[in-house]
Amino acid sequence: MNRREAVQRIALLMGGALSAPVMAGAMGEKIYDGPSLNVTAEQEALLAELADVIIPTTKTPGAKAAGAEKFIVRVMRDCFPLKDQETFYNGLARLNTESKTKFGKSFEELPLPQKNEMVKHTMTSDTPFFRRMKELTVTGYFTSEIGATQALEYLPIPGRFEACRPLKPGQKAWAI
Amino acid sequence: MANLNIDAVKDMTYDAIVVGSGVSGGWAAKELTEKGLRVLMLERGKQLDHVTGYENALKAPWQLQYNGKITEEQKATHPKLSRDYPYNEMTEKYWMKDADSLYKENKRFDWFRPNIVGGKSIMWGRQSYRLSDIDFEANAKEGIAVDWPIRYKDIAPWYSYVEKHVGISGEKLGLPQLPDSEFLPPMDMFCVEKEVRKRIEKNFPGRVMTIGRVANLSAAGKAQLGIGRSACQYRNQCALGCPYGAYFSTQSCTLPPAAKTGRLTLRPDSMVTNILYNKETQKATGVRVVDAVTLEERIYNAKIVFVCASALGSTALLLNSTSERFPDGMGNDSGQLGHNLMDHHFRIGASGEWEGDLDKYYYGRRANGIYIPRYRNIGNDKRDYLRGFGYQGRASRESWQRGIAELSFGADFKEEMTTPGHWQMGIGGFGETLPYYENKMYLDKTEKDKWGMPLVVFDADLRENEIKMREDMKNDAAEMLEKSGLKNVKAYDRGSYLGMAIHEMGTARMGRDQKTSVLNGNNQVWGAKNVFVTDGACMTSASCVNPSLTYMALTARAADFAVKELNKKNL
Repeated sequence: MNRREAVQRIALLMGGALSAPVMAGAMGEKIYDGPSLNVTAEQEALLAELADVIIPTTKTPGAKAAGAEKFIVRVMRDCFPLKDQETFYNGLARLNTESKTKFGKSFEELPLPQKNEMVKHTMTSDTPFFRRMKELTVTGYFTSEIGATQALEYLPIPGRFEACRPLKPGQKAWAI
Repeated sequence: MANLNIDAVKDMTYDAIVVGSGVSGGWAAKELTEKGLRVLMLERGKQLDHVTGYENALKAPWQLQYNGKITEEQKATHPKLSRDYPYNEMTEKYWMKDADSLYKENKRFDWFRPNIVGGKSIMWGRQSYRLSDIDFEANAKEGIAVDWPIRYKDIAPWYSYVEKHVGISGEKLGLPQLPDSEFLPPMDMFCVEKEVRKRIEKNFPGRVMTIGRVANLSAAGKAQLGIGRSACQYRNQCALGCPYGAYFSTQSCTLPPAAKTGRLTLRPDSMVTNILYNKETQKATGVRVVDAVTLEERIYNAKIVFVCASALGSTALLLNSTSERFPDGMGNDSGQLGHNLMDHHFRIGASGEWEGDLDKYYYGRRANGIYIPRYRNIGNDKRDYLRGFGYQGRASRESWQRGIAELSFGADFKEEMTTPGHWQMGIGGFGETLPYYENKMYLDKTEKDKWGMPLVVFDADLRENEIKMREDMKNDAAEMLEKSGLKNVKAYDRGSYLGMAIHEMGTARMGRDQKTSVLNGNNQVWGAKNVFVTDGACMTSASCVNPSLTYMALTARAADFAVKELNKKNL
């Protein structure tokens, strides 16, 4: 049945890489019904800036263009308990505070090299926050329309199956 | 669907009534109408039109996610369905809400009930395998339960008959434990799978690996094109409903020819609560139906009744069909009705990583995996448990998920994640469960659902034989992958509860003796010879292969028998 295939596919393709709440979120589920934090427009904007450093615009649009922050807000709200939400948004606030301490500007106002420096700093100073933020950003991005159709290649109707053919130069990974 | 006359019939009398419209019910309707009978097909679920009803089938993944509006309701209405699977909005409307699907669990049982015309034939996994004489003879040889009243030779022509209509893609192997079907061309294996196959077959004499045998049209022949089906497009979105009719479902495969006869009346939203019995004639006279929406009650009459309401649904119906003659449920002289409940046990196996073949990729999404047929307790192999298991699995190539755990970010990271990663491969076992009298379902007549059906109570569990088998299922999987050169092989056992495999079987078994079985060798209910049960309920043992193909063959066989008996005025 469908669910069994889904389980097998996830177990194999994701190799356990995704945490259970993010996996549920990526499938459009709501698994947490308790009280949630209200996320402000400022926090959402800050998430978008941070996500765009993790997945920047290159030859293809980055996380901000793909609206990854909306995915992050939704999945944190629908799939994580309040305590995890608080830890996560505290981590986000700390990044901004430290940015002000170090460079005298909020994270959003920093030029890219200094944004990169701040994210590198967070990677070691608050590894759990970095990991959660990265997981949400990467998942939100590659399952978005922009991520799936531009960064990756999406075939709505392949029409045929070839099991074993040479990997062409420049061939992107299939989106699904 | 233009020929279907839905609930516009004043005449309440038909030649035949078919209860249920899934894999078995669809076949019953097709065969009986084609043989000239006027058939009423009753389905508890709602109408689902072929193609136009598959609302999500052509949506891209991002169009299905994050709508949010459904999810809160989903959680509230499907607590059981959502408790152990990533349950999503894509197929939500195909399943019955838990709030409507009331049942009790003395022991945990996951009961997945569809809520649509077509039943589980829409969402099924489509893996299609024949049983063999190793299966049909096992009970008798081992002294387990009762003997099957049929052997492979009795069903073989009917397998061929249904396969030619359905279209099963697969590879001929000539194995005694897994007889070949009438095959369409096999789907191809990934390069990694081909290599693993060679190594398994070299390192483990007696074991083979083949491509899954699947009810998807790898090529559409005349039989299929003629009823509006076309070849598989390799989208692998089957469970949403196929706009190409490329896999077997009631809608794609059995309803069109039944409708074409002009003799089929399909009535959705029709919960059959009782089969009515006349003790003078010793036959059923018809059925009592409760309208699923209006709760209005109706009686329909027919010369024969095919009960194809799913294994557990059919047995619940028989148990509820009490009369002076059958105080404990129709056909229950033996006391076996509701007992010998089986399902496959699974969610156990291993996966590993493959080094190499990084220059190989694929095109399209194969809606199928590989299959390793049973090899335990076959030939000279003897284990400390009975029966055996097969594996389903596949190779795949890592995608962006591999980058989640890395402490890296930025442009280089992003570009790396847009290219394919390493190959990996996993296999998971599907094991046979023995028919235990103690594994049972029964009705709690003190509590009823909204249609007035007493609640089903489940009291069934995996036992010593299955638990011993699972050790082999786990260890063999890891050993085969390791010896095939996969690295970092990890074995897993996620635990298996009955019902989860959605291969529920037994509870109204076939047998040779009215004293120990519910059905005879033609799927006729003992003591009510014009009632036939041809879905999973009839299974005398479970085999380890996916069972739907067997229900199709048994249904076609029973329909043929029933019409011959009708014509001889024996029914």
